[in-house]
Amino acid sequence: MPRPSVVAEGTDDRVFAALASPVRREVLRLLRDGGPQSVQQLADHFAMARPSFSEQLRILREAGLVSERKDGRQRFYRLEAVPLAEVQDWLSPYERFWRERMAELGAVLDRLEDE
Amino acid sequence: MSDPTTIEVDTFYPHPPAKVWRALTEPELIAQWLMPGDFRLEVGHRYTMQGRAVAATGFSGMVQAEVLGFELEKVLRIGWRDAADEQRVDWTLTWTLQPEGRGTRLFLLHEGFDPDDPLQQQAHTIMGGGWRSGVPRALEKLLDRI
Repeated sequence: MPRPSVVAEGTDDRVFAALASPVRREVLRLLRDGGPQSVQQLADHFAMARPSFSEQLRILREAGLVSERKDGRQRFYRLEAVPLAEVQDWLSPYERFWRERMAELGAVLDRLEDE
Repeated sequence: MSDPTTIEVDTFYPHPPAKVWRALTEPELIAQWLMPGDFRLEVGHRYTMQGRAVAATGFSGMVQAEVLGFELEKVLRIGWRDAADEQRVDWTLTWTLQPEGRGTRLFLLHEGFDPDDPLQQQAHTIMGGGWRSGVPRALEKLLDRI
């Protein structure tokens, strides 16, 4: 992956680099949808050797996108929202546009139920 | 993220597909979440919608839309062009409804970003792979106003 030639202020290179992998984005999605999970639970979703998967988690951790908590012999991961929110601010006008519109669509659906 | 000419967004609604479909295809409902326009569920139907201009991309905001195809309560494909310059933008929006539990997962695939158009591509870069090329501060500010 080529290095960014210009990096906007306030954005963290490591966050963007961490997000540039489909596996790591999928881990974030799993944590977003399923809440905190053990390494084993997360690893079950991927056909990947454990050391490689641990490396993916390390990259996410160092980017501040996830945090780790030890509980007995298990390690649990959770999503950290702040760096993602910063990335969100940076997203394209189009994706932002659609996310906002789709949120509005949800509000329309909620209102429809009352009819 | 791998295809520089598309955007994909999905979201879950705790409502059945039939209801989500209504919100996608009934003009008075579309107006409430997207833009007012004379939509009709009929392949080939053309209509316009007034949206917001996207200065950073040169998009005028007036959308010339066309129903390209649909499968009832499952898929709806809409073509979007810039009414001010039909050559400039040629997007396809594909809405896909997938039952999920008691609700619906709605996928949007927004295709047709022109890789050869630096303005379009730059705007898309910020979304899809901003981490690949970064973006000048001035453009970022422009985008913030949208």
